[in-house]
Amino acid sequence: MSRRDHTRALRTAGIAAMALVLLCVPALLPDFLVYQFSVALTYAIAILGLNLLMGFNGQISVAQGVFFAVGGYTTAVFATRYGLNAFATLPIAVVTSSLLGLVIGVPALRWQGLPLAFITFGLAVLTPPLALKLEAITRGATGISMTKPVPPAWFPGNQDTALYLCCLAGLALCVVIAARLTRGDTGRSLRAARDNGLIAESLGVNLAKVRIAAFVTCSGMAGFGGGLFAIVNGFVSPESFQMTKSFDFLVGSIVGGITSISGALIGALFVMFLPDWAADMNIALSGLIYGAALVLLMLVARDGVVGLIVKLTDTVSRRFTQGDVGKLQDQPENRQYQT
Amino acid sequence: MQLFWQQIVEGLASGAIYASLALALVLIYRATRIVNFAQGEMATLCVYGAWQLNQWSVPFWLSILIMLPVSFAFGALTFRLMIRPVLGASDHTMVVICIGFFVGFEAIALAVWGADPQAVPRILPDYAWTVAGVRITANNLGILATLCLLTAALSALFRFTRIGLAMRASAAEREKSPLVGIPVETMLMLGWGLAAMVGFIAAALIAPALFLSPPMMVSVVIYALAAATLGGWDSPAGAIVGGLIIGVAESLCATFVPFIGNELKIGVPFAVMALILLARPQGLFGTTAVIRA
Repeated sequence: MSRRDHTRALRTAGIAAMALVLLCVPALLPDFLVYQFSVALTYAIAILGLNLLMGFNGQISVAQGVFFAVGGYTTAVFATRYGLNAFATLPIAVVTSSLLGLVIGVPALRWQGLPLAFITFGLAVLTPPLALKLEAITRGATGISMTKPVPPAWFPGNQDTALYLCCLAGLALCVVIAARLTRGDTGRSLRAARDNGLIAESLGVNLAKVRIAAFVTCSGMAGFGGGLFAIVNGFVSPESFQMTKSFDFLVGSIVGGITSISGALIGALFVMFLPDWAADMNIALSGLIYGAALVLLMLVARDGVVGLIVKLTDTVSRRFTQGDVGKLQDQPENRQYQT
Repeated sequence: MQLFWQQIVEGLASGAIYASLALALVLIYRATRIVNFAQGEMATLCVYGAWQLNQWSVPFWLSILIMLPVSFAFGALTFRLMIRPVLGASDHTMVVICIGFFVGFEAIALAVWGADPQAVPRILPDYAWTVAGVRITANNLGILATLCLLTAALSALFRFTRIGLAMRASAAEREKSPLVGIPVETMLMLGWGLAAMVGFIAAALIAPALFLSPPMMVSVVIYALAAATLGGWDSPAGAIVGGLIIGVAESLCATFVPFIGNELKIGVPFAVMALILLARPQGLFGTTAVIRA
């Protein structure tokens, strides 16, 4: 078996195991944890979008929480005010957040790099006070509560399980979309625009189109996740979309590994559960524990959890297949500083 | 019209604070290509140190003087222990580390000193002049003067001293500087220490107005980030001009545009920044890096 086959087999096994565990969650865990897992899945959808933008296309956005909020509010408004079926509002949520993504993605062509990071950061800062101010739509601090959809009579589980499975289906849909987008010609032009815009353009990639499309897809996914979040949570208010949510998505994306699809789920679980565990350990020092965990994790796994796993399996499979040849080139010390 | 000029004076004073913190951010960025969002939290910790000394009945001006070298050591140590091991990793890694600092340092302040805001004594006297109906306080003047001094000292350091030259060299050419005998990592460490000190000065100046609390510097850092981006990340002069522009724009908009008011005024720097950067993506004073492909 060649090394490539080896890695591929390991990868397939890993993904299958992950899917199996996710399917078993409702059977194994108490209801509240199932609810938390559902929320984590909605985060994973938003983070997956961010991975497409940041990892595969090289644009940074700190506004993923903003699109998440737009999606959440769209679903809540259309479900309560216009009495639409909650799930029927999801496409509308995707459309509204994608439109906002278009509005930002076009000028973003000029703001690449640090400016883009801080302008999107500004949007993230501005979202909670704006949600408070636009009372006519968002009902201000009161928020909008909506009734969670009831599962059909034939469904064997309870409401939490049903909602969890809906979120899982939503994530699966997004994973399929992301997997399609990152392969083949589309994937190549996405990555070419990231690695070297000039060369990409000279090879026929329409840089502006690719970048805008990536931004719109990324924000659309965040809107979808936000809509699902509103359904699972049954309530949206400025409290649910604090500025820190955008940071959480950014951290989740990087911690999981920005150029991976499975990393999105790992990152989502990390930002969902780690702060809670830290608070359980010691409520006064929870922030310190969380911060230290972030720093330590980056010292150990600078390319995220998935990056670390890939590196480890690579080393192991190399040991089994071809001895120590080629080991030297990949040493991190031999890499150039990135500036 | 009087209100207008009054708001400009107030805006310049708060702009000077944003400018000094932005200066600290730019110092670090130029040395290590890292945007340290945790600069404000690090500065808050140092101000807490000075406040604690003051509680132990050390005069406040003396505790500030004591904390200056301490803040320098704090910045240098942070670099040595937690940044140096990942030097050269991707920007994304650095972002997460800085978010880790941000959360962690704030938590330390919260755990040691609690969430209650503490009053901090003013160093500058409570005196005010009235010029053509506009009130100019000694405090505001002092803040502006400190910013001028700080800028002059830093530019003298970078321009006229050997160590300043070495720091500039190691920031510009990290791989080649060791070839001419510059200890690059020491220089980067000095850069972090200097930045921590500048940040501490900014925080100590604004603490009397904001009251000392663990999240005191969060909004200031947001403005400083906007200021540095507006000015161009590789230009200290840009950071200062950017800070002043943002301070004035914020104070004018919060007063004269009713919809904005106090809740949304934090959006003003970003709106200004977005517009200006559309015209000049590299920032007002920034330079575009030229790459030979």
